[in-house]
Amino acid sequence: MSSKEEILNKVVLDLFSYDVDGIRVDVEKALEKGFSPLEVINALSNGMREIGDKFARLELFLTDLMMAGDTMKAALEILLPKIPKDKAVSKGKIVIGTVKGDIHEIGKNIVSAMLTASGFEVYDLGKDVPASRFLEEAEKFKANIIGASALMTTTIPALKDLIEYVKAKGLRNKYKIIVGGGPVTKEYAEEIGADAYAENAVEAVKTIKNLIEK
Amino acid sequence: MNSVNFFEVLKRASSGPIVSEKEFNILVFKKLKEVVKEYDIKFDGETPVPFDDSLADDVFKAALDFYADVGTYCMDTERIIKFTEDEIKEGLKNAPHKAFFGEGKEAKTFIPRKPESKETPWCHVGAGIAVSSEEIHSKLVEGYASIPEADSISVPALAFIEGVSIREPPIEFYGALKMLASAKEALRRAGRPGLPILNLVSTAASQIAGIAASAAQFGLTSSNGWLVPTYPELKIGNNELCKIAYLLSWGANIGAEYSPLIGGYSGGPEGTAVVFVANCIQGILVLKSTYQLAWITNVIDRCSTTKDAIWALAVSGQAISRNISFPVIQFHYQAAGPATKMLLYEVAAGMIEIVASGQAIETAHPARAVEIDYVTPLEMKFSVEIAHAAAGMKRTMANEIVKELLEKYENNIKNAPKGKKYQECFDLKTGKPTEEYLRIYNEVKKELKDIGIPFE
Repeated sequence: MSSKEEILNKVVLDLFSYDVDGIRVDVEKALEKGFSPLEVINALSNGMREIGDKFARLELFLTDLMMAGDTMKAALEILLPKIPKDKAVSKGKIVIGTVKGDIHEIGKNIVSAMLTASGFEVYDLGKDVPASRFLEEAEKFKANIIGASALMTTTIPALKDLIEYVKAKGLRNKYKIIVGGGPVTKEYAEEIGADAYAENAVEAVKTIKNLIEK
Repeated sequence: MNSVNFFEVLKRASSGPIVSEKEFNILVFKKLKEVVKEYDIKFDGETPVPFDDSLADDVFKAALDFYADVGTYCMDTERIIKFTEDEIKEGLKNAPHKAFFGEGKEAKTFIPRKPESKETPWCHVGAGIAVSSEEIHSKLVEGYASIPEADSISVPALAFIEGVSIREPPIEFYGALKMLASAKEALRRAGRPGLPILNLVSTAASQIAGIAASAAQFGLTSSNGWLVPTYPELKIGNNELCKIAYLLSWGANIGAEYSPLIGGYSGGPEGTAVVFVANCIQGILVLKSTYQLAWITNVIDRCSTTKDAIWALAVSGQAISRNISFPVIQFHYQAAGPATKMLLYEVAAGMIEIVASGQAIETAHPARAVEIDYVTPLEMKFSVEIAHAAAGMKRTMANEIVKELLEKYENNIKNAPKGKKYQECFDLKTGKPTEEYLRIYNEVKKELKDIGIPFE
């Protein structure tokens, strides 16, 4: 293996060992060796995909996904500004959160981490998020998609509130809205007029890819 | 030395070490990895019900070390509530080692068991997390209370009130009152008005509505049980702390509720088993509980009857029952729904694992406990029959039976049959199961008898 290839492998190894400081140094070295920012991003994306696949088989866990996501983010902070604007690498922008009144967020965190691993730009609003904030942040972030989750039967109606709020503000056609969470069903998603529903994180990534391509 | 009292817990919640929630999640993950390695705890897919006492004791020691290191995170103050190892040991020593529930002829003492104990387990009947429509709510509770072996009841949450979705306050307060009236009426009809309800206040998911519906004028007495939820892993909020302060002030039974997740912040089955025991310790020290209700879920398959979840619940159940004498009720989410053979295989595997590991049971939670009305009294009766049959069963035998059951359903978990609603497999007028469901139930019972489950 040439020393040029070795440095790209090192960048990917940094990703797998969640070494934020290491990846900053090695990304710079890879660029110095002549790799283009897009080549480095591609190598990292393949690594993130492998991490996502390992999570789906429970060979890695949520915290691994999150730490790998943070490491990837550190690399992208260096790489993205060096890419010409006409060569966008993001697969899409999504704001995501758990609805008002609900503080269960592990499922949403998994979806968030899997989306990051799959190359989406994710703005995670956390938990107990009011409908108005979903929309405000989607506008600020210039998102394509709003993702909302509810884990309790008593908070499911907030998903309907969110859709009605976006509609009331005249912006329903601007955003695709995907919903999920333990007690949410496909039938309920259809009933409230969501664009999509996903049963789990793996499905969520596939569904969002389809939504973006539509 | 006295145990750390609740007021001191509150003081620590507002003066403990400051960390962000994300930092705490990572701390939990890393520390669990360390203790799992240090104590050499390994998941063994060939032994879903372990029978190695030293493994159970190592999981307990690992949980003690881990909890002393990590503590409980208060999400509102963004601080850690910490205890020294001596405080933890003292707290466990002084914990209430039995719980008192019910009234009149239903008054009973919940005494903890040991692995392989011949004592029949406490049978908590129902599936509190499952929701039901108004149409069947009272029928369900009456059906649960009509099971003679039921020691306590879990009342389903109502999904609607007068056709309106029950949601966070204030509507859920009215839903909670309606649910209580419906449950009380059903208990009277079953002739067991004093049977304790241990999942108060279902339908009121917010703590404020739960507290409001518990006021004396609505008829609840302290001999019932109130669940206080904590969040994965080892997190609590001010609302929950407030509910504990309220319940402690009138001597009501507090039930610590927790649900570690395989694949979440605890990692794999080994870390999840350790964090389950740490949650039990937290329930005693922070929540001042007199009983606990807990389960484990695999985040990918969204149920508790996968091999890794059964193993983690079994080993943590044994760790607790061998080392802390404390009333803990365990249960599983099944992937399949009512009127399917698969549901009954999953229920049997789960009940046998829990009882042989020395814990008390809550009955079935069909269809991942997310589908409205996909729950009936027949799988609850079946759960109790299995739990009684498994009393005194050796863990080696339990392991063989559970392995055989896993072979029957494991490959179907991802595409489990949803089954049928109560309205489709029970007669709404008589409250009796359909012939079809009874046939399935009888066939499975016969199969299980043939593989060695000693039904009376």
